[in-house]
Amino acid sequence: MGYLDEQFCQIEDLQDETSPNFAEEVVSLFFKDSVRLVTNIEQAMEKYPEDFNRWDAHMQQLKGSCYSIGASKMNNECTLFRNNCGQENAEGCMRSFQKVKREHAILRQKLESYFQLLRQAGPAGTATRPAGK
Amino acid sequence: MDRRRIRVLLVEDEEIHRVVARAVLRGAGADVDEAENGAEAVRLVRERIGGGGGGAYDLILTDRQMPVMDGHEATRRIRAMGVATPIVAVSSDCLPSDVHAFTAAGADDFTPKPLTKEKLGHILAKFQLA
Repeated sequence: MGYLDEQFCQIEDLQDETSPNFAEEVVSLFFKDSVRLVTNIEQAMEKYPEDFNRWDAHMQQLKGSCYSIGASKMNNECTLFRNNCGQENAEGCMRSFQKVKREHAILRQKLESYFQLLRQAGPAGTATRPAGK
Repeated sequence: MDRRRIRVLLVEDEEIHRVVARAVLRGAGADVDEAENGAEAVRLVRERIGGGGGGAYDLILTDRQMPVMDGHEATRRIRAMGVATPIVAVSSDCLPSDVHAFTAAGADDFTPKPLTKEKLGHILAKFQLA
């Protein structure tokens, strides 16, 4: 499964002459948000043991952010965490939260590399998808 | 003859969702006002219909979960003012009960986040704003 889904392509399609770096700006916003939300979840799990409703509410916000850039793999891990909350499975939550954090770190690395490559390639190097696909 | 640009009120507390939705709306040729919570949305709508703001919005897009006042309450209050502008909930809470709660509050439609060109196209067509 890919890390990003069609929503990321939609974000890139929103780029134009007035907002040539729109995708990178949105991704930066995502990571600014997601770092905060991951910290909130971590703190909630520490300070409020087995408060599954609270944990779930925080994870719902992170999931929402994932949707905005099409972070599908990370989103799936968030869903598993929420399922564990629904089942009141604290150990399951701990395990799935570690996976959420891992996917978050991987995604960050991949997107940083991606945008770095785009910058190196310059405007002429911007990939375009064939029409009709 | 130039087509009048549609006036949209976007009600959303999370910056990333506002940024994406704003770009989608402007890409469709809309003029966008933004509110970060339901109370601000109610104030902007009241201002618009009060005569000082150039007339009612053509479309209101609102999230549910927001600080100060949530989307349900904002929708109820906007409807209580007699405003008939189409209100569409754009929310990540997608259970049937969430959708029902919004329609019970007076919303006309519901679409899951994030707002995309395709979803906006359906909304504009449905309410004859395209």
